[in-house]
Amino acid sequence: MRLALAIASLVVLIVHGVVFRNQFFHEWERHQAAYFEQAKSMSRNDRERAELEARSPRIEQVIVTSFGDTRVDRCTTCHMGAEDPRFAGHAEPLKTHPYSEALGDVQRNGRWERRHKFSDFGCTVCHDGQGRGLDTFYSHGEDEFWPEPLLGYVTQPNWRKDFAPKLKGMEYMEANCAQCHTQADFAGTPHVNRGRKLFYAMNCYGCHKIDGMSEGTLGPDLTEAGKKFKVDYLWESIVEPRANLATSFMPDFHLNQADVESLVIFLKSRRGVNFAETSLDRYEAHVANVAVVIPPGTAGEKAGEQLLGDRACTACHKLGGRDGGIAPDLSYEGLIRDEQWLGDHFVNPRSRVPDSIMPAFRFPAEDFQKITAYLETLKTPPPPTVDARTTFTNLCARCHGEKGDGNGKVAWYIDPSPRDFTKPGFLASKPRTRFIASIQEGVGGTSMPPWKRILKDDQISGVLDYVMQNFAKEPFRELKARNIPEKNPVASSAESVSRGEQVFELRCIGCHGRKGDGKGPNSLDILPHPRNFRNHWFVESVPDRRLFESIEYGVQGTAMPSWIDMLSTNEVGDVVNFIRSLQAGQK
Amino acid sequence: MTVAPQSHDKQLATEHSQMPRRRMLTWLSSFGLFASALLAVVSDWLFFKPRVTYGPNARFAIGKPDDFPPGTRIARDVERVCIVREGNKIAAISTTCTHLGCIVAIADTGFACPCHGSHYDQDGNVTGGPAPKPLPWFQVTLAPNGDVVIDKNASVDPGTYLTV
Amino acid sequence: MSTPTQEPPTPKSGTALTTLRELPQNVWNSIFRNPLPSTDLERSSTSFTNFFLHIHPVKVNKNTLRPAYTMGLGLMATFLFVILVVTGVLLMFYYVPSTTQAYDRMLDLRGTVAFGIFLRNMHRWSAHAMVAIVFLHMCRVFFTGAYKRPREFNWVLGVLLLLVTLFLSFTGYLLPWDQLAFWAITVGTSIAGYAPLIGKQMQFVLLGDTTVGQEALLRFYVLHVAVLPAVLVLLVAIHFWRIRKDGGLSRPEKAPAPAPDSGVVKLKKVYGLQGFVRGPFTKLGNVPDDSVYSWPNLLMAELFVFVLTVSLILVVSLLFNAPLEQPVNVMHPPNPAKAPWYFLGLQEMVSYSAFWGGIGIPGLMVALLFLVPYIDRTTHGVGRWFAKERLLANTIFLTLVILNVIFIVIGTFFRGPNWTLVSPF
Repeated sequence: MRLALAIASLVVLIVHGVVFRNQFFHEWERHQAAYFEQAKSMSRNDRERAELEARSPRIEQVIVTSFGDTRVDRCTTCHMGAEDPRFAGHAEPLKTHPYSEALGDVQRNGRWERRHKFSDFGCTVCHDGQGRGLDTFYSHGEDEFWPEPLLGYVTQPNWRKDFAPKLKGMEYMEANCAQCHTQADFAGTPHVNRGRKLFYAMNCYGCHKIDGMSEGTLGPDLTEAGKKFKVDYLWESIVEPRANLATSFMPDFHLNQADVESLVIFLKSRRGVNFAETSLDRYEAHVANVAVVIPPGTAGEKAGEQLLGDRACTACHKLGGRDGGIAPDLSYEGLIRDEQWLGDHFVNPRSRVPDSIMPAFRFPAEDFQKITAYLETLKTPPPPTVDARTTFTNLCARCHGEKGDGNGKVAWYIDPSPRDFTKPGFLASKPRTRFIASIQEGVGGTSMPPWKRILKDDQISGVLDYVMQNFAKEPFRELKARNIPEKNPVASSAESVSRGEQVFELRCIGCHGRKGDGKGPNSLDILPHPRNFRNHWFVESVPDRRLFESIEYGVQGTAMPSWIDMLSTNEVGDVVNFIRSLQAGQK
Repeated sequence: MTVAPQSHDKQLATEHSQMPRRRMLTWLSSFGLFASALLAVVSDWLFFKPRVTYGPNARFAIGKPDDFPPGTRIARDVERVCIVREGNKIAAISTTCTHLGCIVAIADTGFACPCHGSHYDQDGNVTGGPAPKPLPWFQVTLAPNGDVVIDKNASVDPGTYLTV
Repeated sequence: MSTPTQEPPTPKSGTALTTLRELPQNVWNSIFRNPLPSTDLERSSTSFTNFFLHIHPVKVNKNTLRPAYTMGLGLMATFLFVILVVTGVLLMFYYVPSTTQAYDRMLDLRGTVAFGIFLRNMHRWSAHAMVAIVFLHMCRVFFTGAYKRPREFNWVLGVLLLLVTLFLSFTGYLLPWDQLAFWAITVGTSIAGYAPLIGKQMQFVLLGDTTVGQEALLRFYVLHVAVLPAVLVLLVAIHFWRIRKDGGLSRPEKAPAPAPDSGVVKLKKVYGLQGFVRGPFTKLGNVPDDSVYSWPNLLMAELFVFVLTVSLILVVSLLFNAPLEQPVNVMHPPNPAKAPWYFLGLQEMVSYSAFWGGIGIPGLMVALLFLVPYIDRTTHGVGRWFAKERLLANTIFLTLVILNVIFIVIGTFFRGPNWTLVSPF
């Protein structure tokens, strides 16, 4: 046992020794020693040399209290030459901190004078990083647990490799300049300014709220996005919204790298602080409670067309020369929708298409009127096409896809999804009249518009044939006669509705949801999505017969099964009454 | 009869040969532990001595030489220092009274402390009152970027000026 | 006729000088009255005249010193506590229990304070080790049947000590005030809130508020540095006292004493030196003597365990840094938010049923633990590991231990975001 004791004692001694030694010879002491050496060699007289000789390495720090919570910045412990102009040519960390007019520095008597003095500002208020740290890993924020790595200089190891390199660059620091320099046109923050313009030009303002700038409610509030998130998360949220939230319906706006970078820098500057603002300013803004925030650059008397451009409608829609690739084509809108529909839809999209993801903007009423009026004037029909195929490609493929598989450019953003014609059984199991009606009159409560004022009957017929032949891959077959009542045999009454509700809760809510809105737990995996029965435009456009048929025989080409073996006709009648009863509350 | 003494001797012999080993191991253990204890004591002292404090820096920049016109005496109460400029020479005199630590005020004759009536002349020497020592002068240097830097941790002889 | 002993007459002028010369020796002798022991008598008297040593008996059974018997776990736990107190007090010189300052102080301890990072590591790893060692010590005591008569109450004290240790670790866990700490304690105190009738009140008093905040930090700090260590020291003192009064550590039943021969004086009554106490004490010849002197044997064993513990903690602290995650963000719980490892078994059970997993089953287990020596009244199988006579008891206990460990392992490695099952590989 003595041997073991001796070994353990020596281990204790060795560890003590190692730990003791580690407490000396820090990295920062080496840097300071190097600074003293080199400064001595640059000394002008003996007195300076003597003063430098007398100095020994010690921790340097600046304590800053003017900018939010107390900051203790120890950066100058290694960056000893930051305020010493003689070190401009040296390598980091001894290099002089740059002087420039862009930073507000001035030259006086042949010498630069710093506008943002370290003793007043410290370092982290501009650079981020961890002021209290004393070795590179912690102080530069390379530790992934530190929420504020050095802006533009440091990427943390857990950041995605595909865009981590794009997150480097001094321009990222503009996000911190904007904590004080909040003016929209400040010369020192061009990327922030550009990002702010893009925020409006790409219609971010419609979905996202930023205090003092916009009031969108569909997406997360971005007022403090820069405080909550690091730049890699902001970048990812723009280019791949579903990476962090699988159910996000934020569109992919196909932005180029420069645009994304400007937006990221702008968002990073949103830290919920404005050091230029006094407490009184803040209080006054709080009390004023401005309700409607109008994006800049518009005036009430502008024509609708210009308004359309100002409001960035083409960030999603297609109109004129621009196409956002996210929402329907508005080029012939005057031939498709009437003014009433357009007006209602514009003010509140979900009043006409209940599952639309279009934001409800907070424009002044006259803006709505002007833009609606302008859209109504778009009555130029599309150029004539030689064959059904071209017609389909020009008018239908945007939603239904070139291959008719419901996978058009904007299909992902539309709910209910555009019909997938290639799903076996669907087309072949419905009467032709129904499809003709759908194309002519549109489908209520959905994005399928009425085409009757654009397409003549033979064109519609032609397109339908084209679809059947090329996508359905099944010849149209004579349908077996089905025993379906024309009207609901069960009279509508409170008891019938109540019975229907019970059947609904037992059988239907897994897909159609407890509220009958199509958002049941199984609905996430089903395409097309289960029908939203609260879509009263749709439900009221559909006769009882069709509801009966869908329930009893299912809907081929979708996940709706047939219930004829499990529900009696009366039970189905009750369910239909229940479904109809849901519409009363929706108007 | 012969067996017993031999084995007895052998036993003693093994014990004897084991003794140095045991002693060495004991010595090693003791050395290890005592040396560790010593290192621990020294480490504790270093631990307790703060490497940073959170008050104002002892070494700080006070401004540019031009901020102090020749012939002026400017007192900085926050930093507790009086900057004296004569011609192109600058000095810094402490304004903390050496009696019990109040801030002395600049008077025509030098400095005067409001607390217990200590008086100092222009150079900080005691001319009256309970102050035991003259006001210390601090080291003044010129930083490479042109700032005047005062170091309150470094006292200099009274009458030492920095030539700018 | 007795002559009173007198100081030999010394010349007056030499008295002062003599006093001065003899000063060091006199000082030493007044402190250390006995010389370093070299005879049995000296070994005995040292053990009960020295303040620090008199906690030990003069002689101790050889079995007590067998490493394979106790593995020194109880001692290790005690020494870990000593390390924790020393490092803890040192850390107290730099830590501030304020929600705005705590995290910054942790950064300073890591970055600027000399040896700060090492002391913090020592404190953290000793804490984790102490919880584990205390648990293992309890297992050892159970498996050697060392809770049986007359040691029932000592076992109860031990269970109390286990709870105090867990609570100490729990209160200390909050102090860094980072995301790991904040949410672990949020989860832990929420579990406490599920206790029937008193749960919510208890949670409110513990936290000083409805949610974890400045009040909780302050209360946990006071508990951690003052109240609980005091309670622990008190309980440990009684625990050690009980060991002495119960006759030392448990050991296997001895072979029966040889049949009394003629010629050997049979003693009818034997009184101990310290009075009437239970347990074997100074023997007078007719019992086989398998005890050894505490000085130096027990002390060497203790020294060895101490040095071993210290060296292990030092090496681990040198190699591994204690974690410090993001500063607290009350709006953003990490996903998943996990309690400290010793409560992860509980958290795993809570994911099945909040009451049963958090209060019901653990409460039942603790109650059973307290009652172990009163449920098992047999007296056989003491002093041996896994004695065959105690198969049932050992099996039950081992099963519960393994179950607990399994739950902790699941909670640690196999639970991911939203507490879904994930693979750790």
